[in-house]
Amino acid sequence: MLRLASKMAMARKGRLVLTSLAIILGTSFLSGTFIFSDTITKTFDRLFTDVFRDVDAYVRSSSFIDVPFGGEQRGSTPIAALPTVLEAPGVADATGDIQAFARIIGKDGEPIGLDNGPPTFGGIASASVAGLWTIEDGRLPEGPSQMVMDRASADDGGFVVGDTVRVNAQSGSREFELVGIASYGDISSPGGATFALFDQPTASEFLLKPGNVDAFLVQGDGSMSQEELAASIQSRLDPSLKLEVLTGAQIAEETKDQIGQAIGFLTTFLTIFSLIALGIGSFVIYNVFSITTAQRLRENALLRAIGAERGQVTRMLLVEATVIGIVGSLLGFLSGIAISQGLKALLAAFGGEIPSQGLSIAPSAAVITIVVGTVVTIVAAILPALRAGRVPPLAAMRDTALESVGKGRARLAIALVVLAAGGAAVAASLAGADNLILGLGVMLVFAAVITAGPLLARPVGLGIGRPIAALRGITGSMARQNAVRNPKRTARTAAPVLIGVALVTAFTAFAASVRTQVRDAIGEQFRGDYAITAPQQGFGGLPISLADEVAAVPGVTQATGLGFAAIKLDGESRFVAVIDPTSASGLIDYRMVQGDQRSLDANGILVSQSRAEANDWSIGDVLDVQLVDGTARPLTIRGTFDAQQFLGSYVVNQETFAGSDTNLFDSFIYVTTDGSEGVREALFDATEARGLGGLESRDEFIDSQSGQINQILALVNALLFLSIIIAVVGIVITLLLSVYERRREIGLLRAVGMTRSQTWGTVTWESVITSLYGAVSGVVLGIGMGALLIGVLADDGISAFTLPIGGTIVILVISFVIGVLAAIYPAWRATRTDIMQAISTT
Amino acid sequence: MATAAAAHEASKVYGHGDNEVRALDGVTVEFEQGRFTAIMGPSGSGKSTLMHCVAGLDSLSSGSVTIGEHKLTSMSDGDLTRLRRTQVGFIFQAFNLIPTLSALENIVLPLSLAGQAGDQQWINQVIDTIGLRDRLGHRPNELSGGQQQRVAVARALASKPAVIFADEPTGNLDSRTGHEVLGFMRRAVTDLGQTIVMVTHDAVAASYADRIVFLKDGKIAGEMLAPTPEKVLDKIKHLGE
Repeated sequence: MLRLASKMAMARKGRLVLTSLAIILGTSFLSGTFIFSDTITKTFDRLFTDVFRDVDAYVRSSSFIDVPFGGEQRGSTPIAALPTVLEAPGVADATGDIQAFARIIGKDGEPIGLDNGPPTFGGIASASVAGLWTIEDGRLPEGPSQMVMDRASADDGGFVVGDTVRVNAQSGSREFELVGIASYGDISSPGGATFALFDQPTASEFLLKPGNVDAFLVQGDGSMSQEELAASIQSRLDPSLKLEVLTGAQIAEETKDQIGQAIGFLTTFLTIFSLIALGIGSFVIYNVFSITTAQRLRENALLRAIGAERGQVTRMLLVEATVIGIVGSLLGFLSGIAISQGLKALLAAFGGEIPSQGLSIAPSAAVITIVVGTVVTIVAAILPALRAGRVPPLAAMRDTALESVGKGRARLAIALVVLAAGGAAVAASLAGADNLILGLGVMLVFAAVITAGPLLARPVGLGIGRPIAALRGITGSMARQNAVRNPKRTARTAAPVLIGVALVTAFTAFAASVRTQVRDAIGEQFRGDYAITAPQQGFGGLPISLADEVAAVPGVTQATGLGFAAIKLDGESRFVAVIDPTSASGLIDYRMVQGDQRSLDANGILVSQSRAEANDWSIGDVLDVQLVDGTARPLTIRGTFDAQQFLGSYVVNQETFAGSDTNLFDSFIYVTTDGSEGVREALFDATEARGLGGLESRDEFIDSQSGQINQILALVNALLFLSIIIAVVGIVITLLLSVYERRREIGLLRAVGMTRSQTWGTVTWESVITSLYGAVSGVVLGIGMGALLIGVLADDGISAFTLPIGGTIVILVISFVIGVLAAIYPAWRATRTDIMQAISTT
Repeated sequence: MATAAAAHEASKVYGHGDNEVRALDGVTVEFEQGRFTAIMGPSGSGKSTLMHCVAGLDSLSSGSVTIGEHKLTSMSDGDLTRLRRTQVGFIFQAFNLIPTLSALENIVLPLSLAGQAGDQQWINQVIDTIGLRDRLGHRPNELSGGQQQRVAVARALASKPAVIFADEPTGNLDSRTGHEVLGFMRRAVTDLGQTIVMVTHDAVAASYADRIVFLKDGKIAGEMLAPTPEKVLDKIKHLGE
């Protein structure tokens, strides 16, 4: 039986290739994701093992605030505690360490490093052996006007020792003399980050606050273990300083974990898309098996007639599926290596450059990919194999066999039940149930639509085909009939298109809604003529002092900064908007419901109306707030505002942070001018020309802020691209098999006068109708899902649903083009049909 | 009488060297307008090959073929296709009809492919002749085998072609239905003035023709005018010797 199965599989190499192709595409993204994340994890692991090689103990503040996406903000360490550490038994050397925001400005005024790439750090260069840097060129910096930078940045900016270099950091924008160029271990720049290095007092004052560093790096004298050394230091430290001591191994591990967590988010994100691709691929695999077993009906019936048992026929097909599954997954795993490089390039194109050295392939990646791919293939083959086993031996005598069209009523009933279950789950999640329920509901709705597919394919396909038939005459109307002559097959072929289009449409609808909301919200909140935007969101930003410098520019009537900081509110980490109420008055408008925006003092806080209602807060209530260094700072509610939540739920005064260790930056500076000539140029010189953010007019700013979602949308669409490719391959395979199946019919048509180009047209229009059927159902489903997503997120401040008309038209046009492209090879094959062979009676 | 189609020194060779098979070997034959000609011969005599080559479905290795005024030998695939849909009608043994089209759509298919409406009066006459007016909206799978072949005859007639080629048109039918279809073909020639060339190995079917051309081993092996089944059987017996 096994030999027969493999012989029969090999006898149809073309079919084998087509089926394998679907599996290869389905599994390659999964394998690509594994290899990609393995590679970057290994790169970072190696890097941090290297970096902390000489560090035996690590002293830092024990007070911290978790921030979203796997990071934390930690209090500072006073440099005054360093002598205590140096005196502790077992310590050979120790030095302060800073990893704060600093941006090196190139000679052309452009900042070095990518805006959304690896971080741009400022730090300390010291002679201590515990320090992380080695001077390659020149010498260590000394005093407030000297600096050193990493080799990669120096090469990038064309800097040599002796140059004057501008650096922007928390305390402002300054010029330094470049006295040396350093390397980090053996590498010129760790992880593609940029580094501006100073002596400790300059670094503390310029990057943080005078007298503060982030941590101490300690080297032991070898007389005790790392654990004993850490304990020895800890026992000497004054508990009121709230410092903790980690071993070198611990800090290396923790850093790896943090990076691993960030990579984990990325991996999860990519895995979701690779599972979507695999799911879509499994449809194609199922479709190919269904069609080919239908086409092999006579062959299987013959086997049954000459004495094969039902189970034998089924098993034979399953063996065939297993072999194809293993081979396809293996090839899919190998092509995943190329995909992993593609993912790296893709993320780099979206500004998220990730360093990686070489290629790291864990054996588990190969095993998981091949097992998952093979199992998916076998599962997809089970139904067709069972159907093949049920073939009556008499079918061998019959001529052709179309796939049976199942009982419509039963199918409809199942679809409606699944739809009802999905609808109930969605309704429950709208009423406040878990988001997991929502996901389940959406999956059920998808399943219902796909179950109902064979019932929908005929009417919808005929409807879509009507204008084509009207415009293209006989070829159009034959294409229309061909597209719906086997509704099951059409529905299965269109299912991948449906899923892909539904997802793209849902994201497009979601993005369109977000765009509209952001546009409206920023338009209301921002009352200025110009805005300066920090290039990097999330790490660093514009110096707080810049707002005052901008206000002093001739022609500027008012300028105010808007930043964000992390605090603990009732023990929970929260981001708060930070403003200067005096200069913000009339320029930033929090549409106040109660109270006055200007009454926000250093001990006050403004909260959004929805948060106030949810927590039953009112004006005068005192909130328990803790800053990053652990300082308790109770804040009194001075008012509630009715602004969108993505503009922040809480607003505090800059003064609130005075004297604390919180690092404060502005993300935006809003400006009003008297409209005098040359004011834009003057503003430009004061900001963008010095590498301090980007200057935009009111309209430009609103456009670019609301357009940020487009970048995420583009990334999502790029990741869905592979799914679209699989859908196209699915159409190609079905058409090829259909053309093969109808070769006699095509021969007849050619004999009675159908030209090659008419033959081409018929296949192409059939393909277009199939693709558009998937696209139209997908768009309807996608808009529904988008609306749903907006509904669920209503609490988070996104409420108005915007119909993405332009996006929908683009999707339909693309689906049309996909139909035309997918038909190229099958149509070419159809035109090459041998008339003589096709019409010969035997 | 004018010639509807003709072959001159037609040869068709398959394979090379030792494997060479001469399906047609220097056949010269004319098919007159307004007559019903049958081509007969044992299996492998080249009768189907001759028909396919004269009909422009297959190409010759050497020699020439004409349909009406048109010389087929130097035509491109596109020109040949257009010639087939206007000048040639086909009736095959089976798989004559497109399953997704109705009977009427099948009848006018060559005209539709050419983007023409055709002669409505003529088409009506043809439909009445085959007697399937009440089945025009049906799909082929809703028609009997005989009805399907009658629709095929109507399709072959619809564009008033210069010549109709029929390849074993009754091969799949029982004898009563076969006679019915042959009767329609006969009337198409006698009453409607059409030209039919039919390949068959059935002596009774061949006896409906005005003239029979016998083929053996790719060569013309005789002719017969005003055939009867008995005369045909006798001739076939001699051919076999």
